[in-house]
Amino acid sequence: MYAFDIERPTTVAEAVAALKDEDAQALSGGQTLIPTLKQRLASPSKLVSLSGIAETKGVSADGGTVTVGGGTTHAAVAAGASAYPALAALAGGIGDPAVRNRGTIGGSVANNDPAACYPAAVLGSGATVVTNAREIAADDYFQGMFTTALDEGEIITAVKFPVPEKAAYIKFEQPASRFALVGVFVAKYADGVRVAVTGASEEGVFRWTEAEAALSGNFSAGALDGLSVSADGMISDLHGTGAYRAHLVAVLTKRAVAAAG
Amino acid sequence: MSVSKPHPHDSAPLHVTGAARYIDDIPLPANTLHLAFGLAEIAHGRISALDLGAVRSAPGVVMVLEAKDLPGDCDCSPSNHDEPLLSGAHVQYLGQPVFLVVATSHLAARKAARLAKVDYQPRDAILTIEEALAADSRFEDGPRIWERGEAGEAIDTAPHRLEGRIEMGGQEHFYLEGHAAIALPQDGGDMVVHSSTQHPTEVQHKVAHALHLPMSAVRVETRRMGGGFGGKESQGNALAISCAVVARMTGKPVKMRYDRDDDFMITGKRHDFRIDYTVGYDDDGRILGLEFQHFTRCGWAQDLSLPVADRAMLHADNAYWLPHIRIESHRLRTNTQSATAYRGFGGPQGMLGIERVLDHVAHAVGRDPLQVRTANYYAPASDAAPAVQTTPYGQPVQDFILHDLTAKLAAQCNYAERRKAVAEWNAANPLIKRGLALTPVKFGISFTLTHLNQAGALVHVYQDGSVRVNHGGTEMGQGLFQKVAQVAAARFGLPLEAIQITATDTAKVPNTSATAASSGSDLNGMAVKAACDTIRDRIAGFLADQAQCAIAEVQFADGMVSVAGQSMPFAEAAKRAYEGRVSLSSTGFYKTPHVAWDRIAGQGRPFLYFAYGAACSEVVIDTLTGENRILRTDILHDAGASLNPALDIGQVEGGFVQGAGWLTTEELVWDRAGRLRTHAPSTYKIPACSDRPPVFNVSLWDAPNREDTIYRSKAVGEPPFMHGISVLMALSDAIAACGGLYPALNAPATPERILTTLDQVRHV
Repeated sequence: MYAFDIERPTTVAEAVAALKDEDAQALSGGQTLIPTLKQRLASPSKLVSLSGIAETKGVSADGGTVTVGGGTTHAAVAAGASAYPALAALAGGIGDPAVRNRGTIGGSVANNDPAACYPAAVLGSGATVVTNAREIAADDYFQGMFTTALDEGEIITAVKFPVPEKAAYIKFEQPASRFALVGVFVAKYADGVRVAVTGASEEGVFRWTEAEAALSGNFSAGALDGLSVSADGMISDLHGTGAYRAHLVAVLTKRAVAAAG
Repeated sequence: MSVSKPHPHDSAPLHVTGAARYIDDIPLPANTLHLAFGLAEIAHGRISALDLGAVRSAPGVVMVLEAKDLPGDCDCSPSNHDEPLLSGAHVQYLGQPVFLVVATSHLAARKAARLAKVDYQPRDAILTIEEALAADSRFEDGPRIWERGEAGEAIDTAPHRLEGRIEMGGQEHFYLEGHAAIALPQDGGDMVVHSSTQHPTEVQHKVAHALHLPMSAVRVETRRMGGGFGGKESQGNALAISCAVVARMTGKPVKMRYDRDDDFMITGKRHDFRIDYTVGYDDDGRILGLEFQHFTRCGWAQDLSLPVADRAMLHADNAYWLPHIRIESHRLRTNTQSATAYRGFGGPQGMLGIERVLDHVAHAVGRDPLQVRTANYYAPASDAAPAVQTTPYGQPVQDFILHDLTAKLAAQCNYAERRKAVAEWNAANPLIKRGLALTPVKFGISFTLTHLNQAGALVHVYQDGSVRVNHGGTEMGQGLFQKVAQVAAARFGLPLEAIQITATDTAKVPNTSATAASSGSDLNGMAVKAACDTIRDRIAGFLADQAQCAIAEVQFADGMVSVAGQSMPFAEAAKRAYEGRVSLSSTGFYKTPHVAWDRIAGQGRPFLYFAYGAACSEVVIDTLTGENRILRTDILHDAGASLNPALDIGQVEGGFVQGAGWLTTEELVWDRAGRLRTHAPSTYKIPACSDRPPVFNVSLWDAPNREDTIYRSKAVGEPPFMHGISVLMALSDAIAACGGLYPALNAPATPERILTTLDQVRHV
């Protein structure tokens, strides 16, 4: 790890101001950033810790929307998002207890790791990413592996999830790291079904639109019979081939539909 | 008597409270220096320029050594003198130590090691079995071939024949304690080394060689390791030599421990194997002729690869009478870590080969694999002498108990009923399939290098009646020290608490063999017994003289010594003997009888006896994804007359889980550049406690060894590892429920590999 300075603002406004420094980097739960720094893959001169900002913490439910503060840990979502059980279950299955007690939704969504769980929930719910500057629809937010619509210095202050009629997240864990080899989030709303897939694509989280169309007419696992995704563009690595990941997408989507009930 | 009792591990309270001292816990003297290797970044080639300026000027760095700075090659090899401590210009694998950083702290040394600027001239690297065969890159001049009968002819004339191939991966040892060593310079250039090694005598030998000292000037001490599994038989040499060389140069204490990633990248692992087979068999699945071809990647240096590959050949029969057999073994040299000893030492790989053959033949003849296995078993031990069958290498199988043991296990675990239940389940469930397999183990006990089958001990009885025991075996968590202490207590008729367990120390017992080949208790138990008996007989002789009675009238039991009906505490007897000027210290020595072996001819009696066992595993697979679980495992294992049933069952449980891990989740992946990509627990999955079968019944086959071993017990370290084979065969059985073709499942059977095999089986 290279040397850096650290600031601990207590309001979003202070954090935004601190991030105006060239080369400053926001630090939330640090579950990705700290290992990255340790491996010297990044060398920010200043870290701006977001963990002391009370206004970005907590889960609230109101009128069919669950709002999760950007600084809320996975453990807090698992315990507090009872109004959106599939979201709470997803948060409770991320990594291990140490990760869940440090990692935050804002950090995960800002990082947009192709194997992370939260992007599937955000995209699969058609959630809104709220920042210090604006609100961004999930469909506009995710722009490829590790790439998002966030501008330099922009901070996720909350994510607003419309609560679906039914939803479930199913992931196939890589057994050593427990990252999603493939994860599928399915959510049924009055106006249609959304299916978001993480872990599989070289482009990061994506919507499986053919499955959405099939499920919007008939929300049952059988509606997916015969549907498959192409192995082109799927991640091939030491943990699995692209073909295997593509196969898992179809299987896990059916499971998620079945689990959503 | 203290033997045969389920005493807990002597260090169990220390283990669970964190108070057990490992090398890294030893308080260091002031000014201790710390070491780290700089590692090669290519698999094969030459270093054209090595700029270590930034390393030398890094904070805390005291000096940096290249190969040319060493006092000679500082060879680390246990066999062939082909492992220079540092690479020099010629890099032979990715991860090979190139230079050695000496710094004031562990962290400073590691940080500095990354600052080197190295220019390479890469050459083509030989990474795979196929590449090594194409380049004829191998150890020994050609394949080793052992045969009996006329295998080719027997196959040609058999009613049926089939061919197949199984590929099985290697395995990282993943001892919880990584490698570590400390060197403490002494008067006149002598050296004391603390090493996390299974083989203190070899560390002593290699350090003495590096320092140009006689072995008598080097003392190596090992109190305990946090797991060894064979990974600390030869792989600790590099650290101990490095520490000793730097201690010699600087006059300061020196310590080195590998970071886990470095441990993965530098040290050898289990040999991966490809085994090709051609088998001729009859309508009942009885094997008439068999040809094996073993191919194994040995890595860049010879290390222990020849005896490992030999042991694979020696277990190519497992439990089966194979009248006509030919085994051809290719020991291939590759630009990868030098594969080394790992629990079973090639035996598991050879055994998996024949178990695959039995499974494949059973599928072909449409019979229950257990029926085909038992039909091919060696003749029972009770058969008349002329009918005794011999192994392919000519050793009579005189102690074969697997007929009875298998029948007992099959009854205990309701094999027949569960076979029916599995079939019914599979008929009713299209997606989730179950599989069941019962596989035997017959494992040869003794070092195949015959002269290693010896051990020494040193026992002191003090004038207060306390006893201090030392022997050549090392403690790595397996419970050897407790078993040996039980032997000593039994010989003196003392409670176990009276025996002081001490660190292994080359200054106390010289010329020891590695604690390996499952031989720890067999060898060291006997040596300690001999030492104890010498002292006991001296005490008895002295007391008998004084009491004017026969020596036979002196009895040692329950902490007391009775002399012609008069009883006194053992301490009183010791005091009297001391005052009577009787020596209360003795060495003990043991050499295994009857073993003789010609490895070139592949003939002789390499093993004193065989350890047996059988395991039945039931698994379930999801045919949509290949996900799988072990539902239940039953094991019946032969530990002879167990010295300690608690420790032995612990070894059986741990061995099975480790064996199942080898064949399921533990996958080593090298990329095309020869870089090991699975070098941490984030990418390499060993079984956790929660991965053990939810129903896990382990019991011991309690019958004395027919050979005269220590209290008629049997070695238990390695044999249970191979019970993991039952899991792979059960997975294969589950896949077989999905189609007509034989599921030629390779290992490790990851979900993706299971799914691939499922697709092959379905698409008939």
